[in-house]
Amino acid sequence: MVSHSYSFELKSDLSELETLCQHLNKFGQITGLSQACSTDINVCLDELFTNIVSYGYADDQEHLIRFTINLDNNVLIFKIEDDGVPFNPLKKKDPEVPADLMDARIGGLGIHIVRKLMDDIDYKRKGGWNSLTMKKNLLFSLIDRERI
Amino acid sequence: MEITHRLENEILIITIKGRLDGATSPKADEFIKERLKGNSNRLLFDFEGLEYLSSAGLRAILSAAKEIKSREGKVMLAGLNQYVYEIFEISGFTSLIPIKETVEEALKDLAS
Repeated sequence: MVSHSYSFELKSDLSELETLCQHLNKFGQITGLSQACSTDINVCLDELFTNIVSYGYADDQEHLIRFTINLDNNVLIFKIEDDGVPFNPLKKKDPEVPADLMDARIGGLGIHIVRKLMDDIDYKRKGGWNSLTMKKNLLFSLIDRERI
Repeated sequence: MEITHRLENEILIITIKGRLDGATSPKADEFIKERLKGNSNRLLFDFEGLEYLSSAGLRAILSAAKEIKSREGKVMLAGLNQYVYEIFEISGFTSLIPIKETVEEALKDLAS
C-alpha cells in the first residue's frame, strides 16, 4: 500500500465537526479506506476534538487544533495537538458498565470509545502543547469485522 | 441532522436523521425535552436515517430514556445501522435499552 500523509487544522468550535467529517471523507477517497473504517476514525477524532473544545481552554480565545494522519503499510497513525490545559486522556478511568439505566453516565464514554476503536494510544506534553498519537492497524480491524 | 416527531397509538416516535454529534446534539436534546413535557410514557427512537452518532448524541438519548423510565414507561430504539449499533454496544447500553431491527417491530412491542 502506498503511504499517505494528510494534515489539517480546525478552529476550537464544535461547528468544525462538519469540517472534520469533510477532511476525513477526502482522506478516505484518496486512500480508498472502507466506509466502516472511516466512520470509526471519524468518531475517535470527533470525541477527542469535542473534549478539547469543551474542556481544554481556560480562555475564550479562538485556538487551532492540529491533525495529522499517516497511512503506511496498513497502519494508520493519527496525531492531535492542542495548546489547551495539560490533559492526559489515558489517565481517565473507563466508566463502569452500568447495571441499570438509571445508573448509566456519559462522562468518560468518549475516551472509552476511542480506546476500544484504536489499537494504541500515546500522550505527550511538549512546549505547552498536548500531543496524542494513536495507531490503528487496518489488517486487525478487517479481521475484527469478519469475526462479527 | 433532522429531527421530527409523531404520535401513533399514544406512542411518541422521535425520528433522527443524519449526524448526531457534539454540534447537533444540543438542538436534539432541546427538541426531545420539549416533546417529553407531555405525559407520554412510551417512546420510540426511529434511527433508520441516523448515519452517525458520538457520545454527545448518546447523552441526549440517555437523558430521554431515563425520563421515560422514571415515569415507569417503556423506551425503545429501532433501525440502527451497524455503526450506530457499535457505539451503543461499546458504551454498554445495548443491555439497558431494548433495540429492535425495524420500527414496525418496535411499535408492535410497545403497543402490547
